[in-house]
Amino acid sequence: MGLIQYIVSRVGAYLIVLFVGVTITFFLPRLMPSDPIEGYIAQMQNQAGQSMNPETIEELRTSMRKLYGLEGSIVDQYVDYIKRVFISFDFGPSLASYPKPVSEFIFTALPWTLGLLGTALVVSWLIGNIIGLVAGFYHNSRWATLLEIFGVILYPIPYYILALVLILLFAYIWPIFPLSTTILPGPITWEKINSIIYNSFLPALTLVLAGFGWNILGMKALSFANKEEGYVTFARLKGTPSRTIMFSYVFRNSILPQITALALSIGGVFNGALLTEILFSYPGLGLLMRTAIGSGDFNLLYGTIIMSIVSVATAALIIDLVYPLLDPRIRFR
Amino acid sequence: MIKLNNLVATYTTERGQVNAVDGINIALPSGKIIGIAGESGCGKSTLLKVIYGDLIYPLALTSGNVEYGFTGDRGTEVTTRDIKEYWFRRISYIPQASMSSLNPVIRIRRQFVDFQGNVVDEAKILAEVREYVRSLDLPAEAIDAYPHQLSGGMRQRIMVAMGTFFKPDIILADEPTTALDVVVQKSILMLLMDIQEQMENTILFVSHDMGVHYQLTHKMLIMYAAKVVEFGDSEDVFSTSLHPYTKMLTDSLPTIGDDHIREGVSGRPPSLWDELVGCRFAARCPLATEICRQQEPALLEHKPGHFSACHHADQV
Ligand SMILES: Nc1ncnc2c1ncn2[C@@H]1O[C@H](COP(=O)(O)OP(=O)(O)OP(=O)(O)O)[C@@H](O)[C@H]1O
Ligand SMILES: [Mg+2]
Repeated sequence: MGLIQYIVSRVGAYLIVLFVGVTITFFLPRLMPSDPIEGYIAQMQNQAGQSMNPETIEELRTSMRKLYGLEGSIVDQYVDYIKRVFISFDFGPSLASYPKPVSEFIFTALPWTLGLLGTALVVSWLIGNIIGLVAGFYHNSRWATLLEIFGVILYPIPYYILALVLILLFAYIWPIFPLSTTILPGPITWEKINSIIYNSFLPALTLVLAGFGWNILGMKALSFANKEEGYVTFARLKGTPSRTIMFSYVFRNSILPQITALALSIGGVFNGALLTEILFSYPGLGLLMRTAIGSGDFNLLYGTIIMSIVSVATAALIIDLVYPLLDPRIRFR
Repeated sequence: MIKLNNLVATYTTERGQVNAVDGINIALPSGKIIGIAGESGCGKSTLLKVIYGDLIYPLALTSGNVEYGFTGDRGTEVTTRDIKEYWFRRISYIPQASMSSLNPVIRIRRQFVDFQGNVVDEAKILAEVREYVRSLDLPAEAIDAYPHQLSGGMRQRIMVAMGTFFKPDIILADEPTTALDVVVQKSILMLLMDIQEQMENTILFVSHDMGVHYQLTHKMLIMYAAKVVEFGDSEDVFSTSLHPYTKMLTDSLPTIGDDHIREGVSGRPPSLWDELVGCRFAARCPLATEICRQQEPALLEHKPGHFSACHHADQV
C-alpha cells in the first residue's frame, strides 16, 4: 500500500524533526559558557534588594536546578526533559515572571501567531498562485505580462524593507492603520473581532505581499511549462473549453510542486512572521521570544523555540498529508 | 470525399517561413483507411494538423482549404473555416501512444466528458461511455481509473475508445502505436480496424511501419518533402508502384525467403528551406534525367485511381 507507506514516512519524519529539535534545545543551554542559574540568582538578588536570606537563595538554587532539570546525570536530565516537553507540555516556570508557567504565556501568544500567519499564508499562496496561473496561461496577453511584472518587482524586496515601507505609507503618511497593535482585553465580542481584524490587517498585508512574488513567479513558470504537456494539447484538440483546461488541467497539475514548495518554505515564512510581530508589536510568539531574550528568560525562550519547531513541523506535516488528496499517483500507487 | 484543395501550410520561425505542406491537391475517398507514409520531416503530422484544423501559431494555412464531405449543423458543407466546431464529434484525433496524452490527476471518465459544449446530463453520457467501452470488449471499470493505474496498452485502447465514441466521420491517427510492443500494437490496430469496419469512418493513419500500412490500409498516400508523390489503392501502391520513392520505401520491407541484400533508403530528402526546383526526389532517384531536375512533375492519375508525381512513372 503506497499511501500508508507515504503517511508513515511523513509522520516518521515529523517525529524525528520534533525529537531532534527538542534535543538541540536541551543541549544548547548546557553548552553555554556561563551558568545561567548563578546569573539569575544575582539578578534576583538585585531586584529584591538585599532582603533575600541565604536559605532562600539556597532553596532557589535547588529549585532552579530542578526547574532547569539540572539534577542527576545528563541522561536522567534528558529523559526527564523529553518527558516534560512531550507529555505534559511543561517548559517550567517563567523566570522573569516567576512562578507563572511558560506554557501559559505560550498558549496565549500562539493563537495570535497561528491566526496571523495562517491567514496570510493561505491568502498569499492562493491569490499568488491564481495570479501566476493566469500570467502563465495567458502569457501572450498584455495583462498577463503586467501580472508577471508585479511578481518580478515584489520578489526581490527584502521582507523588512517591504514591511517598513508599508508601515511608513499606511500607518504614518496616510494613517489608515495603527502603528502598533493594541487590543483590548476581555471576552470575544464583535467589537473585539473588528479590532483584531483592524489591527492585524497591515501585518498580514506585509506577509501576503512578501509571499506573493515567489508564488506568482513559481506558478507562472510552472503553468507556462505545463501548457506544453501532451494532455493539455490533447484536451485542446478534444475541444475542451479553455476554462476547464486552465483549471482541471494546467492548474491541477502545476499546483502540486507549489504545495511541496509551500511545505518547504514554511520555516522561512515563520521567521518572517516573528519579525512582523516585533515590527508591529503583535502579541504572538515572535514578540514573546523577543521579550524572553530581552529579559534573559531562558525557560520562556526555549519554550518559544520548541513551540516554533512544533508549529512549523506540524504545518509542514499537514501540507504533506493534504498532498495525496490532490495527487492520485500517491493515493493509488 | 475529403477534398484537400491546394493546401500550403507554413511554419513561422525565427529563421523565416517554411512550407511543411507545399501544394497538396487531392481528393481522399470516405469510409476508407488511408495510410500516410514518408520519411521523417516530410510533413505528415503537419498535413494531419491542417486537416484537423489545428492551425495555431507557428503553423498557418497560407492557401487552400479542406472540404470534409459532410454537412454541418447549419446545413452547409463543413470546411476548414468551421471544422473546429465539430472536433471530436465528427472529426477526431488519436494521439501517439503514451502516458502524456491523459491528464494524470483526474479520472479518465472526467476526461471522457470534458469535450466541448456543455455536457447536459453527465450521468447519462457516462452510462453511454461505459456501454460503448464494454462493446469494444474493454473493461468498463477502466474509465474509473486514473491514467497511471492502466497499462500502456489499455491506455491506448481507451484513447481509441475516446476518439471513436461519437462515431466521427473522420479519425486522424498520428503514429498511434509507436511506443507500444508489437503484440499490444497489433491488438490496438485490430481494434481500430474493427471499429472502422462497423462505423465506416475515414481513418487517416500515419506510420513509419510499411508492414503495418500493408496490413491495415485500403489506400496509401506517399509524401516526400512536403508534397504528395503517390496515391492509390494500397495493393497497387505496394505491388505496382508508380513512383521510385515509394519503391525505395517498400523495398526496405523484408519478405520471407528473400536473401539478397536490401538497399534501404539511401541519401536524405532536401531541406525545405532551400529553393526547390524540379522534382524534389531527383537527387536520390535512379531514374532521374534532365527534365526531372528542371521541371516539377505534376500529380497525375496514371491509372484509374492511381496517382503519381513522376516524369518517368511508366518506367518504375
Ligand atoms: N513547430 C514547428 N516549427 C517550425 N517548423 C516545424 C514545426 N513543426 C514541424 N516543423 C517542420 O516542418 C516539417 C514537417 O514536420 P512534420 O512534423 O509534419 O513531419 P513528419 O512527417 O510528421 O515527421 P515525423 O515522421 O518525424 O513525425 C519539418 O521540416 C519540421 O522541421
Ligand atoms: Mg510526425
